[in-house]
Amino acid sequence: MPDWWGVWTDQDYYVLGAILMLVLCSLLTRCGYALLGDYLPLSDTVRRALRYAPAAALVAIIVPEVLPWAVGGWPRVDLRFFALLVGALVFLRWRSTVALILSGMVTYWGLMFLVR
Amino acid sequence: MVPRVSWQWPSAVLRRGFAAGARDALPGFVAGGIWGFVTGIAMVKSGLSENMAVLMTLTVYAGSAQLTSLPLIQAGAPLWLILAAGCIVNMRFIIFGAAMHPYLRHFNWKRRLMLGFVTSDISFVLFMTRYGKRPQPARDSQLGYFLGIVVPGWFNWNLASICGIYLGAMVPDSWSLEFAAILALSAIVLPLLRERPMLISAASAGIVAWMAQGLPLRLGLLVAVVVGILVGMVAERQLSARRGRRS
Repeated sequence: MPDWWGVWTDQDYYVLGAILMLVLCSLLTRCGYALLGDYLPLSDTVRRALRYAPAAALVAIIVPEVLPWAVGGWPRVDLRFFALLVGALVFLRWRSTVALILSGMVTYWGLMFLVR
Repeated sequence: MVPRVSWQWPSAVLRRGFAAGARDALPGFVAGGIWGFVTGIAMVKSGLSENMAVLMTLTVYAGSAQLTSLPLIQAGAPLWLILAAGCIVNMRFIIFGAAMHPYLRHFNWKRRLMLGFVTSDISFVLFMTRYGKRPQPARDSQLGYFLGIVVPGWFNWNLASICGIYLGAMVPDSWSLEFAAILALSAIVLPLLRERPMLISAASAGIVAWMAQGLPLRLGLLVAVVVGILVGMVAERQLSARRGRRS
């Protein structure tokens, strides 16, 4: 889509739908409690269970990106897996998000350069 | 009835609170700026047009949910799954909301809607560190402090994100800058894994996600989250039982 007034493809409508879903998601999770908090007591068990969901979801998004396994093929270890590993070690040592991103990207570029 | 609080906009207490909040959040703004920049790059690199990416940034205002949605959008996952995945990743905001509720409940619903929408991780952490243990809300200074974190935070995030979008559009695809999004996501996960049950939960979710990635519609994600929660709860119970026996 070059601009708002151009011709919209199915893909554009799909992306717009995805954005609307995420807006809804922001409203539900961020404002839900602020608006309806007086009617929504969270039990202790639910609260504890909810704590595990974000980390599980994030890991579940990351893993297939770096360890892809195509249908009918063999599991693969992507170069990005090693770059992520380096970034993670750097992060554990220096506790810096910037260092993680930089070291991970540099490692990835280095590995791509070596493989090609 | 909870009485509605009235305040004049530039009250001195409010302004002092605002300045204190902005000062405390300064390191957070640096991190948020980089994070927004990377999110901006990642959005255009995973195929969103610049207009769509700007729209997403301004309306969604949730970095981790946006980054999570990008591989799903690329894979053409169904919209309900994008909503579900976003809500799961954003689940921490429900917890934040529950904890912040006593401090916000006296506002009218429009103000609660606005304050809730601009809540960020950093505002929650700083606010609760400062006011979490005080039983009596000191309202004006609290509101000022909160606004001092979230208002500059909102501008900071969106400006950085828009810079990332237009820069990302100029950088060639061969640089694979979208990988920065995966790296940024892992920077959120790693600090969460300090406790044993959390580590066990995340590891099991990772294994399930690896095995289940052949499932259609990226449903492996949901399976992994359910397994992660169950394993985490069991691990927590087992570990605390073992600790109880030992002492």
